[in-house]
Amino acid sequence: MKPLRSRSARVIVVAAAAGSLALTGCSKNETGNTKDESKSQKDAASQSKPVVYAKAAESTGPAAEVPGAKSGGTINVLMESDMSHMDPGQIYVSDAGQLANLLHRGLTNFQEDDKGNLTVVGDIATDSGTPSEGGKVWTYTLKDGVKDQNGNAITSADVRHSIERMYSKVIFDGPPYVQSWLSGDDYRKALPDGPYKGKHLPDSVLATPDAKTVVFKFKKAQPDLPQALAMAGYSVVPEKADTKAKYDKAPVALGPYKIAEYKPGKSLKLVKNTNWDPKTDSVRHQYVDGYDFSLTIDQASQSKRLIADQGDAKNAIQWTDQVDPTMIKDVISKPDVNKRSIKGYQPYVWQLSFNLDKMKDKKVRDAITHAMPSQRMIAQDGGKYGGELAGGLMGPTLPGFDPSYDPFGKLKKPNGDLAKAKELLKEAGVKEGTKLTYAYSSAPRSQKQMVVVRGMLEKLGFDVQAKEIDRATYYQQIGKLDNPFDLYMSGWGQDWPSPSTVITPVYDGDLISDGASNYSHINDEQVNKGIDEALTLEPAAAAKKWTEIHKRIVEEINPAAPVYYSKQIQLTGSNVGGVKYSVESSYIDINDLFLKNP
Amino acid sequence: MLQFLLRRLTGAVVIMFLIGAFTFFLFYTIPQDFAELACGKNCSPQSIAVIRENLGLDKPITTQFWEFMGGILTGRDFATGHCPAPCLGVSFETSEFVWASIIDRFPLTLSLTVGGLVIFLVLGLGSGLLAAWKRGTWVDKLVSSTSMVLSSFQIYFLGPIVLGIFVYSTGWLENPKYVPFTENPAAWALGLLIPWAVMATIFTAQYTRMARSTMIEQLQEEHVRTARAKGMKQGYVFFRYAWRGSLTPIVTILGMDLSGLLAGAVVTEFTFDLAGIGRLAVNSSLSKDLPLTMGVMLFGAFFILILNIIVDLAYAYIDPRVRLA
Repeated sequence: MKPLRSRSARVIVVAAAAGSLALTGCSKNETGNTKDESKSQKDAASQSKPVVYAKAAESTGPAAEVPGAKSGGTINVLMESDMSHMDPGQIYVSDAGQLANLLHRGLTNFQEDDKGNLTVVGDIATDSGTPSEGGKVWTYTLKDGVKDQNGNAITSADVRHSIERMYSKVIFDGPPYVQSWLSGDDYRKALPDGPYKGKHLPDSVLATPDAKTVVFKFKKAQPDLPQALAMAGYSVVPEKADTKAKYDKAPVALGPYKIAEYKPGKSLKLVKNTNWDPKTDSVRHQYVDGYDFSLTIDQASQSKRLIADQGDAKNAIQWTDQVDPTMIKDVISKPDVNKRSIKGYQPYVWQLSFNLDKMKDKKVRDAITHAMPSQRMIAQDGGKYGGELAGGLMGPTLPGFDPSYDPFGKLKKPNGDLAKAKELLKEAGVKEGTKLTYAYSSAPRSQKQMVVVRGMLEKLGFDVQAKEIDRATYYQQIGKLDNPFDLYMSGWGQDWPSPSTVITPVYDGDLISDGASNYSHINDEQVNKGIDEALTLEPAAAAKKWTEIHKRIVEEINPAAPVYYSKQIQLTGSNVGGVKYSVESSYIDINDLFLKNP
Repeated sequence: MLQFLLRRLTGAVVIMFLIGAFTFFLFYTIPQDFAELACGKNCSPQSIAVIRENLGLDKPITTQFWEFMGGILTGRDFATGHCPAPCLGVSFETSEFVWASIIDRFPLTLSLTVGGLVIFLVLGLGSGLLAAWKRGTWVDKLVSSTSMVLSSFQIYFLGPIVLGIFVYSTGWLENPKYVPFTENPAAWALGLLIPWAVMATIFTAQYTRMARSTMIEQLQEEHVRTARAKGMKQGYVFFRYAWRGSLTPIVTILGMDLSGLLAGAVVTEFTFDLAGIGRLAVNSSLSKDLPLTMGVMLFGAFFILILNIIVDLAYAYIDPRVRLA
């Protein structure tokens, strides 16, 4: 998962599962000072526990009532740009992922307690799934009473249809996990037209023996399946309602809300889905009558409106945008505003990736890592409320995160250790004036950070060629195997709270290919082998193994200099209740929202 | 007259075709794979190939161009359905029909333009005429100096100040928003009050200055002095002789301003977070959304060309010396 991927102003985060730390939504600072309330790694570490898989009891609705919640009213949602997608199969990013929680439902979902502990529960399934044959086979039974907005009962055929349509050309943006696990990396060849021409995956891969049962059959054990299925991308598209490409603009809802009106790039109105039965849902609520999305309000204007808290803004929330960096001080310094803020980590770890095909000497990579002025990089991204010094490549939102892990001494020397770096370069025999090409995105933050990186490299004696790449295709360009760059910034976060969705896509040598996210082209036999092993382990046992692999990557290979863990701060209006940071989405938790005075 | 209209309309069609062709081929000079732009997070070469095929980008550029141009007359079929004529293609970014996006955004732009126009014409021309009528008096000095100051303001400067005072600080007014006139006329007017006021403040100042100077110029013309010498009433001379003569430059500028506003009041829309044609134009250009950019440009060009023709027709009405041929 990478931030700011292809579309302009699109904030990319996780589709469904993201952070795994609980940070309270409301600040307790009532004194009006500006002390650091940006949350610490200690807070994060206390929450970075492996996810629990629930049985039927936890999966049975209705969801526990939110204290003080009232019904009625409409929440105004302020957004800078449109949803990337609304067809569940295409959803892989946070804006649409948040929306999916209101509109769509899948086999499983994340349930979050007050402390931010995550449990995977059955959503339209009765539980998080029953594994057999050592985790190679997973069986799901559907709940009774789950209907789409048109009142049609959801059956196993709909679930099969939802999975199979992801093999077709209609879908090109969604998550690849389950399809790849079922049919291999080149999964599209297994069912090129999806289910649309009457063909289906064989029962040896995906079986639906009756209207209520779905059986996934994998070649390898897939212990993370319940978490993968909780991604919005695997929500159900009822077979009868599927309009292929048109579905992206007019999806049929299973969740508590449905679309009443949608004007692309402008506005979106949600109203209650009367066919959603709370008894079938242990996570969501339906307190407000609807949501009005304004899709043209830029981040600065959102911040001004919510700080002022006048009129409609009292009932407003930010969705996936954040407080404008220039106004963070206004939020923190005013107690009445600060108590309406939601602060927390995002799942990204920003890193300076080295192209190992070009930068083969580890001493040079270590030198640059030591010299990296991480603190100054954070300053270009909102300061302490925008990020936190990174010691390693596994962020605070992952199980197994160790806040004291800091092999390059970044916590002690946050603006880099030039003396140590120069010493290493001398040992490596690097000559003054050696050319390095640094690629960076045209996003304003990246442009500012380029100045910092270039300054650092020049101080080390390199002749730096800074190459700007259009932000819209930045990751495509650095994802090319034969890219001409030596080093580039990249950000990555988990798809669900497991290192498997970070270490595997970014550091597994077996996955090196054009367009893949192994940006450094690291291909270490021990790492690859460790990943294969960890992927077959249950979450708790896997966490230990991932930590081992992570250490080898950072200390023995160093394919990327850890720079900072990203953070965010959002605001809501004073009339919005039930506000808290969501560990699952890394943003405001939309499941519990209500209006205090509807 | 008819011959004039036919000639100008034919010219307008040719110009629009040339604008379309120029924009289209200019886009392809950018070293950019549009399929990559539309590709999201899971962007493998296979995904890009699928997008390229879905968007028709796998066809030769000339084929794409003629399909685009043909679609304006006959409509086209896409994966998302049939796009009726005038079909301006499908947005790479939103997969929405471009024509539908433009038509959806146009009422706001039209509302901004009409509301602003009424205010700045009434106030601007009124105060300009008053200043000219009372030339040299304190009224003239007050109007002239005020318009001088206000005309140097910009929407992006004045807008946030007005919002800060009337919305964020006092809460007297809501943030600007567009409610269709047909839905609720009062909410329509109230929602656009601040943008109108800010836009009109700047335009009013410009029109005040223009109306004053052209009127003063006209009042010194020989035919006006002759009319006065004949003993005609001051008001009659002012409006019947001088005013009519001063209209030509005002109509010229008005035509240009109007076509510019209808093609998208970019700064106003961004300052007040409104979604009209201007925002659509800027966003489509930033995201290199070729069909949307072309659609918005052609739409804007249409207004510029049509209003030019209307202004030329107005000249003939205002000034009998002008003949259309």
